[in-house]
Amino acid sequence: MKNKKSIHILIAEDDDDDKLLILKAFEKCLPKENVTCVSDGEDLINYLSKTSSTDDSIYPVPDIILLDLNMPRKDGKTTLQEIKSHEDYRKIPVIIFTTSNLKEDIQFTYKMGSSSFITKPGTFEDLVKVTKEIKNYWSSTVKLPT
Amino acid sequence: MEFEQVPKLEKVKVYSIVTLILVIFGSGVSIWVANRIDFYTSALVHTEEVLQRNNELYANILERETSIRGYILTGNEEFLANYESSKLTGKEIFPYLFQLTSDNETQQKYLKEIQAHIQTRLEIFEQSKKYYQENGDLVGFLSPEKIENSINGYRAIKGLINKINEEESQLIIERNKILINNIAALPLIIGLISFMSVLMGALTLFSIFHFNKATKIKDEKIRISQELLKDKIEQLNESNDELKQFAYIASHDLQEPLRKITSFSDLLKEQYQGKLDEEGNHYLARISASAYRMRRLITDLLEYSRAGRDSDENVKKVFLDEVVNSVIDDMEVAINEKNAIITFQNLPVVDGKETEFRQVFQNLLSNSLKFAKKETIPQITISTAQAPQELIKTYPQLDQSIGYFLIILEDNGIGFDQSYAERIFTIFQRLHGKNEFEGTGIGLSITRKIIENYGGVISAEGIVANGATFKIVLPKPSIN
Repeated sequence: MKNKKSIHILIAEDDDDDKLLILKAFEKCLPKENVTCVSDGEDLINYLSKTSSTDDSIYPVPDIILLDLNMPRKDGKTTLQEIKSHEDYRKIPVIIFTTSNLKEDIQFTYKMGSSSFITKPGTFEDLVKVTKEIKNYWSSTVKLPT
Repeated sequence: MEFEQVPKLEKVKVYSIVTLILVIFGSGVSIWVANRIDFYTSALVHTEEVLQRNNELYANILERETSIRGYILTGNEEFLANYESSKLTGKEIFPYLFQLTSDNETQQKYLKEIQAHIQTRLEIFEQSKKYYQENGDLVGFLSPEKIENSINGYRAIKGLINKINEEESQLIIERNKILINNIAALPLIIGLISFMSVLMGALTLFSIFHFNKATKIKDEKIRISQELLKDKIEQLNESNDELKQFAYIASHDLQEPLRKITSFSDLLKEQYQGKLDEEGNHYLARISASAYRMRRLITDLLEYSRAGRDSDENVKKVFLDEVVNSVIDDMEVAINEKNAIITFQNLPVVDGKETEFRQVFQNLLSNSLKFAKKETIPQITISTAQAPQELIKTYPQLDQSIGYFLIILEDNGIGFDQSYAERIFTIFQRLHGKNEFEGTGIGLSITRKIIENYGGVISAEGIVANGATFKIVLPKPSIN
């Protein structure tokens, strides 16, 4: 039981600026070590594959994944499909966190099994608000499959 | 596209008809001439018969004269027999001659005269025959007077016979002349008509040929212009796709750095609030404000480019009463803030997408609220009427054969100078400084775009400091 332990969030984001901003925003509600950032889908799958085989403190299993859609190498949609077709990873909630607000993207990702679709807020203030909501929702409001 | 002058099919038709008429006319003339020739030929034959009969008559008269003379001189009964038979023959010839010359009064007259003379002669013959038979000679019968009468009678007969012959000969000459003329004219007439027919035929053929050629060229040109048109449509589709692509780029790639500018200046403000001096804070505020405004511009531009298309929403019956009601609900906060009074009734039902009509009324109502007078309670009235024909006529883009609704929205706001009535619908055009009234100046442009997409028009009327009126003309839903 990890009752006391706060949630661990894995973020796949290729843009350094966004990465910095998201991390800064999460810093306001989560300890630094609870947030891990990877640069694309390829890295994300690599990370996940290491969680089962290595020490939990270096590669902790994420409780939720924040996934950008537009990424080099493996993009968000492909990554989502891979996660959702994997026996172990499919249970991890995936939150699409992107600049897109295209209807097709929203429909596609929900169909593929994503848990939320969030369009990146335009201001830092809003970003802080959203990250806080994410943290609160997934760590307190709902129960996660641990 | 311009086309070369094409000979009209009408021309070909006219040529053909003229040719046909010429051929028929030519045939008619030929038949007429042939009939004339036939007529004069039989007339000639007829004249010749008259001549022949006339000569026969003369021969008969001579025979009678000779026979009676022979009988009186010789007493030979055979002469008498000849005389009697010539009398019978003479009787047969006359009716024949009368019948032949029935169309010629002169000849009839001559014949009657001859007949009279012959009758006189016959009486004398009979008398002398009787005298001779009784006395054996004519010594007591003859007198110088009788002899002279006899000579004169014969001369008269001969003269008349000659006259008849002359008359008939004259006729023969005349008729021959006409006949020859006709025969001579026939080939000329036929030739002329044939020539003209051939000419017209050739002209017809030529114009048909020309027409076909021109038609072919025209078809080819149409084909080429159709292809050009197809290319143009393809290009248009391509540039449309590019435009969509642009919209996508604008919404994502362009927004991306902007979002970061905003976020980082927020972050800067938050973390270095106390460390910057007043001027530094001021600059930072300007950066944020500009970035915020630019983001609104991009979002609005995107919204404008999407307005009226790019939506999966189905066209259906839209109850504008309901639409306005729900827009008022949505705008409750802004309406209550200004204590605005909005009245509307009996708005029409139209065909379209509900979201778009929501946008229309939202833009119009927020426009009226935004430009309300500061010290007056805003009053907005929306009413409906049938669009009068005179109004429809003033817009060439409207179809005069269908019916339109006229929706009028009136407010009591600050109004505007009528000379700006068109400018307020132009994208990013504003009549007031952006410090005075916030906004990008896109709401009314989107409204117009939507209304025009439905085949309608929207116009504005305003008086400075005395309210604005918006008039929407929208086509009535089709019956189907």
